[in-house]
Amino acid sequence: MLKMNNISKVFRTDVVETHALRDFTLHVEEGDFVAVTGPSGSGKTTFLNVAGLLETFDDGDYLLDGQSVKGLSDSQLARLRNEKIGFIFQSFNLLPDLNLFDNVDVPLRYRRFNAAERKRRIEEALEVVGLASRMRHLPSQLSGGQQQRVAIARALAGQPRFLLADEPTGNLDTQMANSVMDLLEQINKEGTTVVMVTHDPLLAQRAQRNIFVRDGRVSEVTSNADASELLHKTAQVG
Amino acid sequence: MNQIGPIFRALLRNKVGAFLLALQIALTMTIIVNAIHMIENRSSLMARPSGLDEANQFYLTSSGYRDDFNEQLVIEQDLRLLRQLPGVINATQINAIPLSGGGWSMGLRTAPGQDGLNTGVAIYFVDENGIEALDVELIAGNNFSTSEISYREANAVEWPQNAIITAATAKELFPDLEPAQTVGKTGYISGDEPLTIIGIIDQLQAPWNGWSGVERVMLVPQRTLFGSSRYFIRTEPGQRDRIMKEAEELLLRQDAGRLVRNVRTMTETREDSYRGHQALQTVLWITVVLLTIITALGIVGMVTFNVNRRRKQIGTRRALGASRGDIMGYFMIENFMVTSFGLLLGLGSSIALNIWLVDAFNLPRIGWHYLPIAMVILWLLGQLAVFGPARRAAGISPALATRTT
Ligand SMILES: Nc1ncnc2c1ncn2[C@@H]1O[C@H](COP(=O)(O)OP(=O)(O)OP(=O)(O)O)[C@@H](O)[C@H]1O
Ligand SMILES: [Mg+2]
Repeated sequence: MLKMNNISKVFRTDVVETHALRDFTLHVEEGDFVAVTGPSGSGKTTFLNVAGLLETFDDGDYLLDGQSVKGLSDSQLARLRNEKIGFIFQSFNLLPDLNLFDNVDVPLRYRRFNAAERKRRIEEALEVVGLASRMRHLPSQLSGGQQQRVAIARALAGQPRFLLADEPTGNLDTQMANSVMDLLEQINKEGTTVVMVTHDPLLAQRAQRNIFVRDGRVSEVTSNADASELLHKTAQVG
Repeated sequence: MNQIGPIFRALLRNKVGAFLLALQIALTMTIIVNAIHMIENRSSLMARPSGLDEANQFYLTSSGYRDDFNEQLVIEQDLRLLRQLPGVINATQINAIPLSGGGWSMGLRTAPGQDGLNTGVAIYFVDENGIEALDVELIAGNNFSTSEISYREANAVEWPQNAIITAATAKELFPDLEPAQTVGKTGYISGDEPLTIIGIIDQLQAPWNGWSGVERVMLVPQRTLFGSSRYFIRTEPGQRDRIMKEAEELLLRQDAGRLVRNVRTMTETREDSYRGHQALQTVLWITVVLLTIITALGIVGMVTFNVNRRRKQIGTRRALGASRGDIMGYFMIENFMVTSFGLLLGLGSSIALNIWLVDAFNLPRIGWHYLPIAMVILWLLGQLAVFGPARRAAGISPALATRTT
């Protein structure tokens, strides 16, 4: 699904070279829910940006959904982001001048869906996050948790294979963080692969796999799969 | 293109800035359209022919100062000498110079007495050589005969029998007749002094370029004995400058007790005559250019500001799948909307300003074609001004979505 082999990423400024990622290797399977943790500056965001095609990398291979992304043009990358990846940001990144409907509409328009299709998807996505009744509101009229749910709706509306989230609960209190987490779990259960960077160990534990990043490397992989998979399986059996 | 709806709605949330820019564009269009209209209007005034052969004509003033100055004799001798100069086509005495700003006008009526329409005409006293020296074309009737040229004292009130008028004068006096048909008609000057129209010339301008009757001119077959007289000389093409010097020296060599001064070409006279028009045109052009630059810079500034303010939004859009073209398109379309709104306002105010100018300054109505041309130019200008900032916006990295807070 998402295969990174020996990825390295160097930021060069006039004075310093920062090796944000070195020999970064990680495979994420379809349907995974991966939580990424690590100290500040360890390269979590850089990993997520490379994974989400927001940044290029210097070395190594990256296959997204079986396709090597090396050498793709800017517009090809934009297209891949648009079709395969949903982003959730720490500070929500809603467009302040657009109401909720238009916010969720943004990636759908770039995808050139027709109006009826967009409307259907927007309403459905806002329904999922429980904000369908507030479609005409502006982001500034919502709480942080609600804004993040709109952002999730926006990420979901295009039905991406991957959901990438960089500290999606970082700006939220525990209660709102939990409700966002519930939503992500639900989405994951419905088949979307989720990769989430977080500082919160409790939230991280709720993911199937935890990846610990240090100095731009994957330094530890732990699996919580048993518990959740068990739950998942019993749910299916039952 | 399918971004139009949300761009418009987002724009409505930032009305003030957009509206101010639209106002600037409206103002620019209003001033540019009317300024160019005025420039063109002045150009068309300046392009009117004087009726003369300006490039090959000059004139000079001869003023007697000595007690024994015999004016009539000197004039006759001067004109004879001038006409004999090789390269001179003809010369005449004349009381005033077309376009010079100074001259003589009288009222003409088609019936004697004080009733009836009094048509103002500029008077040029010339002799039988006047038509050729001025290079005007006699389109009907006859030239003056040598024998009918009389001398006019400064205090004279009588008028000779015959006159030649321009076609425009004929049209004004006898609106129902073709100019040629007015030959033989009588005009009345100074109340009830009759003048027979013996000839019609095609065109000749009065001394005053701003006068609405600038085409109304009458030639009167007299030489003036006013102490100071002007000779108007027409030369073969290309000979003017040489002959100007020779003519002045020739006249000075005659020990006649007079001064020769104010030797000037018709070319200079035209330039002087329209100097004000030309200055106005220059000022208007500068205004047009400066205003265009200022407006373009205003657009560049506004869009640059918007791009900087929205860097994170742009990064987010890129992350959500916008291509560089989509981002460029966003700003181009946004600007197109603001510009269009401004131009619609400008359309209204351009017409309003013109109506006021027509009213207040008697300017002609604006040609409708100015408006679409100005709109297209300002649209293009707007798009050109946006291009740079929009390209920088398109270069913003999608990583900005996660890298900034
Ligand atoms: N645009 C950049 N230019 C230069 N250096 C950068 C840039 N972006 C990140 N870095 C550096 O790369 C390293 C990894 O940064 P990254 O943002 O991936 O860390 P992080 O794990 O997300 O940290 P945090 O938990 O604080 O968000 C850091 O040392 C950072 O300073
Ligand atoms: Mg980070």
